[in-house]
Amino acid sequence: MSGDPDLTAFLEPTQLTTATRQPLPRRKLSRATTAFLILLRIYVFIAIPIVAYAFIHAMRASP
Amino acid sequence: MSEDISRPPLLLLDPCREREDLLRARDRLRIAQSRSGRRWLRLLWLLAGPGVLVMLGENDGPSMVSYATTGATYGVGFFVPFILLTFLMAFVVQEMTVRLGTATHRGHAELIFQRFGPFWGYFAMADLVFGNVLTLTTEFIAIQAGGLYFGISPWLSVTGGVALIIASLGLRRYATWERSVMLLAAFNGLFIPAALFAHPSGAALAHALTAWGPLPGGINNVFIVLVLANIGATVTPWMIFFQQSTVVDKGLTRADLLQGRLDTAIGAALAAVAAIATLLASAPLFAHHVDVSSFASGADFATALRPYLGSTGATLFALGMVEAGLVAAMAISTSSAYALGETAHGRHSLNLDFSQGKQFYAAAILSTLLAACIVLIPHAPLLAMTLTVNVIATLLMAPALLLLLLLVNDREIMGDLANGWRMNLAGGSVAIFIALAGVLYGVITVFPNLFGVGP
Repeated sequence: MSGDPDLTAFLEPTQLTTATRQPLPRRKLSRATTAFLILLRIYVFIAIPIVAYAFIHAMRASP
Repeated sequence: MSEDISRPPLLLLDPCREREDLLRARDRLRIAQSRSGRRWLRLLWLLAGPGVLVMLGENDGPSMVSYATTGATYGVGFFVPFILLTFLMAFVVQEMTVRLGTATHRGHAELIFQRFGPFWGYFAMADLVFGNVLTLTTEFIAIQAGGLYFGISPWLSVTGGVALIIASLGLRRYATWERSVMLLAAFNGLFIPAALFAHPSGAALAHALTAWGPLPGGINNVFIVLVLANIGATVTPWMIFFQQSTVVDKGLTRADLLQGRLDTAIGAALAAVAAIATLLASAPLFAHHVDVSSFASGADFATALRPYLGSTGATLFALGMVEAGLVAAMAISTSSAYALGETAHGRHSLNLDFSQGKQFYAAAILSTLLAACIVLIPHAPLLAMTLTVNVIATLLMAPALLLLLLLVNDREIMGDLANGWRMNLAGGSVAIFIALAGVLYGVITVFPNLFGVGP
């Protein structure tokens, strides 16, 4: 495709792909936030096997 | 038009990035012309897409089966206003992704990786990929089920579905892809005439909406599973990733926030109407005490509804199932591709050529093929899988919502678009409600006699 630099002026500077390729700085998570994230991770690790168990149980129960 | 554009030199050196930027800039030019000409309806039309697609995309195969199962199990009652509530929850969640996308111009996966680091990033990606593969599988279940109703073999309908999804990716232009999928998504409305064939009672509908009832059998295991399935039918992790990525790929900016919100609200309203229509269409099965627990797939609903909706109504229902599966499969496969591209720092846009976006298109195509192959496994328990997938989606939503709330409260990246207390209250309530519903599901699975088994 032929380049048209004027057209790209319709994009915001932060929209250009060269700008979005630059990573944002890492954010420091507070202890409370980290604890919340860990708690929800544990929740998922417990919940998914329960769903798998329920699914297998239902399969075995059905004729 | 943006003032003071400082054009990075790399833009002129990288032809792939140049194409992506130029295509997006062309779309922005049309938007700028409509805005300056005060053509507001045209502006809304140009900016609409991500919201309508994500909402109608979430009215997918498992969702429509969940609504049909709900209608067949409980009739017109509690679940009518409950479905409206779930779409309100979906709007609250998806509006945050519009703000995130317009404020940062980055996808959800890359924001999680960049702001919270790879540890939480990989967990979020694992949840997304796991949920997406399962959900994509159930979309092919819907396509196959709809095909079976018309006597089309599973091989043919699944292969046809795969071919259409790959063909949509072949458009290699976000705007064209979006409009094509929106056109297809309009057929979600097929459930509305199907519902009219069921001759629903206006008085029963009005009573359900005002009194949140009746609820035959009260609270029991079936009720709780259907509550979770209905939540999973409207609020899922892939929607967060998909809408944010498409908002970015479409090139929405802060100036477009009103239209982005309207797009999401219109999508939620359209999807809610189609969802309630599905429940109404299947309500005759409840009235005639038809047991749906033995149904093998969505096709069985269409077949069972034929005596009550007539041949035309049942045909519309089956066609709606195919549409639901197809649109969602297109959206979910793209959601996976965006997220993987963002995670692997690869190019990720529907504006890319195949040669430029090998990784992006390969992720979409491979996930589609994997899901299609799973569906073709003989004697796979398809209906049970369909309902279970919605439950899993609900369970994975709680951590996804926490990450979303953290990002949308991050003033360093959001600036003045960060959440206020009202949005935090609404978003936090949705997260807590979904987490508690998941806990309740765990309790009834471990203690099945706690509330009783069925209605």
